[in-house]
Order: sequence, then structure tokens, then C-alpha cells
Amino acid sequence: MKILGVDSSAKSASIALIEDGEILSEFFINVGLTHSQTLAPMVKNVLDNTNTNLKDLGLFAVSFGPGSFTGIRIGVSLVKGMAMPFDTPCIGVSTLYSMAFNLLNENAVVCAVMDARCNQVYNAIFDIKDGKIQRLTKDRAISIVDLYKELKFFQKKVIFVGDGAELCYNKKNDYNLNAYIAPKSLRLQRASSVAFAGYNVVVKNGAIGADSLIPFYLRPSQAERELKLKSNK
Amino acid sequence: MEIISLSCKETEMIGKKLAGNLSGTEVIALFGNLGAGKTSLVRGIALGLNSEDDVTSPTFSIVNEYMGKYPIYHFDMYRINTYEDLYSTGYFDYLDNGILIIEWSENIEAILPEDAIKIFIRYGKGESERILRFEGIDEI
Repeated sequence: MKILGVDSSAKSASIALIEDGEILSEFFINVGLTHSQTLAPMVKNVLDNTNTNLKDLGLFAVSFGPGSFTGIRIGVSLVKGMAMPFDTPCIGVSTLYSMAFNLLNENAVVCAVMDARCNQVYNAIFDIKDGKIQRLTKDRAISIVDLYKELKFFQKKVIFVGDGAELCYNKKNDYNLNAYIAPKSLRLQRASSVAFAGYNVVVKNGAIGADSLIPFYLRPSQAERELKLKSNK
Repeated sequence: MEIISLSCKETEMIGKKLAGNLSGTEVIALFGNLGAGKTSLVRGIALGLNSEDDVTSPTFSIVNEYMGKYPIYHFDMYRINTYEDLYSTGYFDYLDNGILIIEWSENIEAILPEDAIKIFIRYGKGESERILRFEGIDEI
């Protein structure tokens, strides 16, 4: 089955075509937020260069959050539009879960982090062993300080992945944590990982139709959602 | 730092001067009541960044984009009351991608970036006199 992976959940964007566990093509760009202009041409490019038609696709896998408000909407709506003509099955994949697939060959605790601003990160923690991923937390928004408190309990080595990885890694010495950071080639969300993750989710839970695909947004904790200064109330 | 402006035109000139200090990704947070001259100040900044676009208050659109030396994103936070409101304007996506100028910053003061340039505008003695107080920038 051919699976098209789509990611535009943050600053970078990528499209990948996978089949039977192999990557046939992948297009990755990281030049700022112009996904509305670049994403569709990237799809065309990947399909054209692999002699693939939309109707050949068996599944669309898209990172549907957490991430950038506009970025996620662009990816999800593009997939909806492409899936509708041939009723192609779809699956929304957690951006954080997809990044665990970047580090599938590790034996480690993988800490996926995306910068959510205001000293918060979108995060989920996974244990990876023998090519299997075990989810240890749900996707959440958490302060970097609170995340460190949790990470201290792990005996295994911790690897940060995601666009918040550097942010977290740079503070590790303040918290006396034995942590590593994923190399640049594996650090950001990748459409190929989204496609692999999507396949795994579908095998377990089945796919959904384009009409049921909606973005998945995470809210920071109540205290972090306060916009006004307390004295102004 | 405080600067006194005696007219709309002078407020605009102050904006123009401020523009010369910008490097492209600043957040400029404006505080001040109706008629304080916030939009005049933004017009000056846009002019100073060689933008030929019309500067108007984004009361209904919430954000206006002007093309100049750097992209300028002009926000009006008057109707922004919750985190969800703010998130769905794409505010967090605009950060670091251009200059953000924010009217009614009072409404999102708690989550402004630490290095934001804050400008408080208040009424002076004369009818058209305004006092502009700057925080986060030493001189313009």
C-alpha cells in the first residue's frame, strides 16, 4: 500500500511517499512559514517523480497536531482535499508520536518536544526498545521546568527530539540531567515518520474518512493561558 | 525613556525614527486609550520601513500585513480575551517571522515576549499633546 505522509505542523514542511516499509520519495523544506505556497507543489513533485497518481494512494497520513495553528490547518485541509475525490482513507497522527519514529533504532527514552512559546513545550515521552515504541505520557503542554522534574526519574538515557529539543537540551546542566539531543538529520518532524506512524495507528485502530479528519490542538495549563497581568484585572 | 509629541504628525515621525532601530523580528507592544495615537505611530513605523501599504487599525481583521523592508504584522488585540482567541489569530506563528506591532497589548500583557519593546502612550497637558514612554529600548 502506498502511503503519502504530510507534515506542516511547525516551521518545516515535508511530503513523503512510502510503500511496504520503504521510503520511495521525501521532500523536506525548512525556510520559514510559507506552507500554503509550498506544500501542494511538493506533493505534485513527489507524485510526479515517482510516477504515482492520487488514486494509487491507499492512505494519507498527516501530522494533525500539536503544533502551529495555521500550519496544522494547511496540512489537514490539503489532505482532506486530496482524499475526497477517491475516498482515500486518512489518518491524523500526533506530531510528537511521529517524531519517535525518527529514533526507532535507539534504546532510549525519547522526549519529543515542540516549542509552544512562553517557556512551554508540547511534549510526549516514549520508551523505545528493539524497534518498538511504548508511549509513557499523553501529548500535553508542559513547562520546561516541570518536564525536567519528570525526566530525572529515568535511568535510561534521554534523547530530545523536535524543534524544542535545543531549548530543552541547553538547560540540561541546570538540572543535572544526563540527556542527549537527536542529530540534525533526525531532529525535526518528517513526513516519512508521519507515514510510518500513520501506518502503525491504522493497523491498530483503522483509518478514518476525510470528513472526520480534524486538527488536534493542545491547550496549555490554566495558569499559562492567562493573557492579562493579574494587577490589570 | 519618554518623548513628548505635540501632534499626530509628530507621533508619526517618532514611529519613523523608531523604525530605523529595528532589525526585523521585534515585537512592539502599544498601550494607550482610544485616540492616543497608536495607529499614527504604526503608520510612522511602516513608512520608516519603506512600506507603501495603507495603515489602518485592524479592529475587524485583527491583523493587517504590510510589506516593507521587513514584513510588518499589525495586530489589534481589543477583542482577544482568551488563549484560544489568541492562538487562532496565528499570533504564535507570526513571532520571529517579521515585526509585530500590537495595539491593545493590555489584553495579552502576561504572555508578551520578555524582550518586547513596550510603548505606553498617555495624554499630556494640551489637547493634542501625548507622552510616549518606552520600555525595552534605550534610545531611538
